[in-house]
Parts: sequence; C-alpha cells; structure tokens
Amino acid sequence: MKKIVIALVGQPNVGKSHLANAISGSNLKIGNFAGVTVEKATARLSTEDFAIEFIDLPGLYSLEDFSADEKVTKDFLLTGEYDLILNVIDSTNLDRNLMLTTELMELQKKMVIALNMDDEAIKEGININSDAMSKILSIPCVRVSSKLKTNIDLLVKQILHVTKNSLVTPKLVYSDEVEEQLQTIVRFLDDKHFRSPNSLSNRQIAVGLLWQKKEIYALMHEQPLYIELQPLLNNALGHVYMYCQCDDIEEVINRQHTAFAAGLGAEVLSVSKVKNRNLTQKIDTLLIHKLFGLPIFIFLMWGLFQLTFTLGEIPMGWIEDTFGWLGETIGESITNEALKSLIVDGIIAGVGSVIMFLPNIMILFLGIALLETTGYMSRAAFLLDGFFHKFGLHGKSFVPLVTGFGCSVPAYMAARTLKNKKDRLLTMFIIGFMSCGARLPVYVLFAGAFFEESMAGNALFAIYIIGALMGLIAAKILRVTAFKGEDEPFVMEMPKYRLPSLKLLWFVVYSKSIMYIKKAGTFILLASMLIWFISSYPKNILIEEEYATKIEALQAQLEEAAPAEKTEADSEAKAIEEATANAEIKEPASIEDAIAALENEKHEKLVERTYLGIMGKAIEPAFAPLGFDWKMGVATLSGLAAKEVIVSTLGVLYSLGDEVTEEDTSLREIIASNISLASAMAFIVFVMVYLPCLAATAVFAKEAESLKYTVYLVIFTFATAWILAFITYNIVNLLA
Amino acid sequence: MVDLSQINKNQKVLIKQIHAQNTLKKRLFSLGLGVGKEVEVVETSLQKNTIKVALGFSAVALRFDEAKMIEVEAR
Ligand SMILES: Nc1nc2c(ncn2[C@@H]2O[C@H](COP(=O)(O)OP(=O)(O)O)[C@@H](O)[C@H]2O)c(=O)[nH]1
Repeated sequence: MKKIVIALVGQPNVGKSHLANAISGSNLKIGNFAGVTVEKATARLSTEDFAIEFIDLPGLYSLEDFSADEKVTKDFLLTGEYDLILNVIDSTNLDRNLMLTTELMELQKKMVIALNMDDEAIKEGININSDAMSKILSIPCVRVSSKLKTNIDLLVKQILHVTKNSLVTPKLVYSDEVEEQLQTIVRFLDDKHFRSPNSLSNRQIAVGLLWQKKEIYALMHEQPLYIELQPLLNNALGHVYMYCQCDDIEEVINRQHTAFAAGLGAEVLSVSKVKNRNLTQKIDTLLIHKLFGLPIFIFLMWGLFQLTFTLGEIPMGWIEDTFGWLGETIGESITNEALKSLIVDGIIAGVGSVIMFLPNIMILFLGIALLETTGYMSRAAFLLDGFFHKFGLHGKSFVPLVTGFGCSVPAYMAARTLKNKKDRLLTMFIIGFMSCGARLPVYVLFAGAFFEESMAGNALFAIYIIGALMGLIAAKILRVTAFKGEDEPFVMEMPKYRLPSLKLLWFVVYSKSIMYIKKAGTFILLASMLIWFISSYPKNILIEEEYATKIEALQAQLEEAAPAEKTEADSEAKAIEEATANAEIKEPASIEDAIAALENEKHEKLVERTYLGIMGKAIEPAFAPLGFDWKMGVATLSGLAAKEVIVSTLGVLYSLGDEVTEEDTSLREIIASNISLASAMAFIVFVMVYLPCLAATAVFAKEAESLKYTVYLVIFTFATAWILAFITYNIVNLLA
Repeated sequence: MVDLSQINKNQKVLIKQIHAQNTLKKRLFSLGLGVGKEVEVVETSLQKNTIKVALGFSAVALRFDEAKMIEVEAR
C-alpha cells in the first residue's frame, strides 16, 4: 500500500478541518486544539491501494510569513515532504481565496482545489463553473460541501488521480509584458543549461527572481552565472516597473495576481440572486454596535460562566455520589487496611475529585469552541482592541487569551498569530492570568464551599474577571518595562457568521473530555497514589499506640459512666493533656466528643509525621504569611504537576486527616469548616496567578524560544502570586 | 489626501494607494485591500479605535492608525 501525504492549505475559516473530518469520517484523529488550528494535525484514510494522510496546516492569507503561525505553513509547503496540495477554497469568497491559490500555483506542485461551502454558495446564488475552472488552471477543481458531504467521493477520486499521474504544470498566466520578461530569463537559464539543485523548474526560478523572493535569490547568488544574470534581471525589472507604473514589487505582484483572479472569476463565477448575504452584516450591526457591543460581549461571557457552574452542578452531584458509593462498597470488601486505604483514600478520593469536574470542563470547552467556530471571536477582538491597546496588548491577543481559559498549552501556541515577537511574548506572559480549565475544579470547590449556590456562579465569574483584569495590569507594567517596542498593526478579517456543525463541536468537546479523563486516569492516578503514599508513610506506631490507649481509657469511662454517676478518673486518664483532662466531666456525650477530638488529633499528628508532613512543615513558613496551613502549601506545590492535582491532594489530605463521618462526606464541607475565608481567598488568588503547570511551562519555553524568558516567567508568576495572595489575606482579615 | 479614517459610516470609496511598509502592505493586499478595490466603512468602534470595512464578499477590521495609511477617493 502506498502512502500519500496531502497538505491541506487554505485561508483561515474555509473549513479545512471540517473537510478533513468529512473525508476521513470516523478515522479522523486530529490533535487539533479547541478553536485555532495550530499544530500540524494529521488524519488518516485508507482506500483500496492507498493510505492517505492529511496534514491540516494553519490557515494563511498569503505565503508571506506575516505571523509565526503562517510561517509554519509556508515552511512546510516549501521544505516539507508531501505529495499533493489540497487547496480548500471558500466558494462564497472566491475572489480573495484565489489570491492564495495563485501563490500556491507558483510552487509548481501537484494540486487539487476543493471549492468548499458549496451549500452556502448555492443558497447565496453563487455558482462556480468548476469544469471551466479546472480547464483554465489545469488543476482539478471540485465543488464540495463538507457540511452536507456532497462530492466528497469525487474529490478523493481526483486526489488519487492526480497522485497517480505525473505533474501537470498549473496554468498561471501573467500579463503579456511580464510573461515576455519571464521568457527572457527562462531562455537565458535554458541556454546555460542551468539545473536548480532542488529541482525547481527554470520558470519557477524566473518567477522567483522577478518577484524578488529571498529564497530564490539566496539560491542563485551562489551560482557563477549570477554575474551574467544580474544585468538581465535589472533590465527585466525595469521593464516591469515601467509597464506597471509603480516601483514596488509587492504591488506589482498583487496587481498581477488580482488581475488573474479577477479574470478567472469573470470566466467561472456567476451570481444570480442577492439573498442572505447581508445576514452577517445585520448581526454585526448589533453585535459590534458602538454602545451595545461590549455589554453584549460581557453578558455572553457571564452567561458562559453561569452555565459552567449551574449546569455543571447537576451531573457533578451524580458523579460525586457514584464515587462515594464506589469508595464505600470497595472499602467494605477489602480487608487489608493498607490496601483499603490506598484504594479508597488514595485512588478513589484523588481521581474522583478530579473526574467530578468533567461536566464543567466540557461546558467551558464547548463555549470556547462556539466562540471560535461561529466567528464571534474576531468580533470580540474588534470590540476589545481599543481597550486592550491601552494596556499595550493587541486585539488579536484576545484569541490566545480566551483559549487560555481552556488550557494554557494551546493558548501559548495560539499566540503565534501575533506577528511581533514582543507582542507575542507579552501575551504569553499574561496567558497564565487567564485561569485555565484545570484550575476550574479548585475554584468550583472553593466557591461552592464559601458561597451560597445562587452566588457561586457569580463568584466564579468574578474570579475569572479579576484574573483577567490583573492580567491586563500586569501587561501594562510589562509593556512599559520589559517589553517596550512598537505596536503591531491591527488588521484582521471579520469572517462570516456560521452555525458550526454539531459534529465538529462534539468532536472538540469529546476530544477534550477524553484528554481530561486520560489525564485523570494516568497522571492524576499516579499523583494521587504518590500523595497518598507520602502522606501515609512512614507509619508512626508510637503515636498510634499512645492515642489508642487514651481513647480506650475514655471509652472505659464512657461505659462506667452509665452505672456510676461519678467515677474516679484512673491514673492513665490523668496523664492526658488539658483538653481531655477537662473532659473528666460526667456527661457521656461530652466524653464522646472528647474521643472524636482525640481521633482528629491523632490523625493530625500522624499526617504531620509522614514524609508529606515533614515536607509541608518545611515549606510552611513560606506560606504562613498567606494564611495557608501546610496542607494548602503542599497542594499548591503539587499543583505544579497539573492544576487538577491541587484538588486531589486536598482530597487525599483532608480525607486522611479528618474523621470522615456520614454527614460530613464531601470535601467541600470539610474545606468550609477547616479553612478560614481569608485563607481561602488568598489560596484562590495564589492559584489564579502562579505558574501554569509544568507541561504548559515546557510549551512556553518552546514557543518563546528562550530559556531566559522561561526563568522570568517562573519568577514573575511566583512573586506576583505570593504578593497578591498576601495582600488578599490581610485585606480580608481586616474586613472580617 | 483623503484616507480611510476620514470616511463616514456607510460611504463607499475606491482605494487609490496604500502608504504602508512592506509586511503590512502585503497583509492588506492579501486581505483584499488592493489598489482599485471598492470598500465601504460599515462600523466604527466607540472611541474611534477600530473600524470595520466591507469589500466584495468579505469584511476586514482595522485600527485607525492603519486606516490612515490607506489613501482613498470618493466615488
Ligand atoms: N455551510 C457550510 N459550513 C461549513 C462548511 N465547511 C465548514 N463549515 C463551517 O465553517 C466554519 C469553519 O470551519 P473550520 O473547519 O473550523 O475551518 P478551518 O479554520 O479552515 O479549519 C465552521 O463553523 C464550520 O462548521 C461547508 O461545507 N458548508
């Protein structure tokens, strides 16, 4: 079986991912992140004789490396290994899409054009004569709709056909004058029997030279014949400039391509009725309205967080119950104490507390995917640019920042859409302030513990907003100190509003959920076991025995209390410290209380002497000014591995440290009764700001291409988190 | 010289010239803002930071600073 690699290329939002999805059906395995396509994502499809692999490259408007993102695509197209370019075109915007197509044609590769969104084009009365277009370009053009899956088979057939046969040079013609100059250069190269080392044709070289492409110049500069070539080239350029009456080559190229695209459009495009087309315009009059635009935006965001909380609450209860039941049932059937503790207190408590938040995560990712696929994301950027600009950010920073609410990893990658390196770094520095999905469990837990249910959604929204605002302030500070420099221009397409297909949405949410569950099943499982182990060992027999005797003594008292009103406290009971000594009081109920208190004390002491306790005690002084007890300190540190681990660590620590009684099962209640409001607020602030997880930090290092900035990031986030948490703790303490 | 930032809402104009530097110029071209194209200003944001222009089948958002670089003539 032969393998075919197909590069999917198109302008942004033409439906590349959707098309890959439609072609490969259920075989699709795109590691695509919510929203923006950044990494090269591949999908596989097997036909009779071929295994087809699609590479979904980031969308780009032209082959100029304007942003880092577009550079990925350009570099791949120029140097990557692939058999064929599948150029995806939005049929409803043929004119502009053809500008990229003409550039792709200059690459002289095997090519097939998919005229996507045919369904929409038909609705809008746009008709493209694909047969005529195929003939004119010498490239098979197929009208498809990835939404309705029409003509997908035909497209695959054409792809196979083109791959099997040898390259048919695409027909891209320039104006007569330019063609004449190109001929002169080609003739010269042919006469010299010039063969380019990387198998470019001489026409390609001529075009590259005339269009002043750096790569081609670099190549030709090394050739001895360059000396003779140069005057020829000067002459040719002079002619072209004179003919075009302008001396900017980019403008010349643009005019040539525009003329070609316009000519092609005139031949193949016919527009009948003008219907529907203004729908986007109508929606926009409201959504980017001078006055209403921003309030609507804020309302939508608020709605998303309300939904995340209130809707997510329902299945959360079920999941919590299920894990509680699971823990009990399994606990009962295991006799070995250590094993039972590992499974119930370690694994089930740890993994359960993370899985519980799956519904919230799904809703959040659904929201982000909706923002991106409907086209609202660029409206938000439009609305916010003025505001962002004041803080030294760029309207486009909005996309990575919002993605950051999902996960920092794709957010760092999404920052590639920013052209300017300083803007990019600045945006990446404050992505951490946009609380990622993994931090959501921590917030939900604490918001639920300290606020009424009706207020919890608002509290959650406030946490996100405050985080974002702190990010903006940080941006401003960084902008006037570390990242001084020129602003990047703001030019951005406002794509059409589109209802995304449910399948695509489901695909995004589904793959996110699977990723989350996988993480819970592997990484968090291991982390939970580790935390359980270091929080259970070494066992301290001495303490256990000491308390066992104390408790026994009290129990004996309890039994005696029934018959005789007053009993002499025996000698052993006297040895017990104050707290219990006072419990000499006769009421059986108070003796029971004393027993419970002793139990708690025992657990407390036991945990304190484990490896984790020792570690926690060691770092406690660093966190003490923030009002954290050592358990919270340990939780923040373990959160470096992954933010969800904070919750599972708290789960393990508090379920071990406390006697878990029937009416006090949920972690939320334990936290509400064990942590003061001020400490809790400081904890939230700390979690909001400190370093995103290690995985994200690694991606940051890769994207920033600098160790220096990575170290800065670590110091910056920790210092800011500590200071802000300190302030919060003291303010809340003052107010309370 | 009349530039795009001076154009009122809902007015149609022709692009005469683009006075931008290299990369920005290319970007404007590839978004369809080429010389000779007809564009219409359809929305401006509250503090006149950004404008939205419609051209052909698509729409582009620009900051005022960039709009100043686009020389236009009224139809
Ligand atoms: N009506 C219609 N919408 C489509 C079609 N293909 C994609 N879309 C929608 O266009 C939007 C962008 O698609 P996507 O695959 O994310 O574009 P990409 O950025 O090029 O990968 C999504 O909302 C899709 O649902 C199509 O054939 N017809």
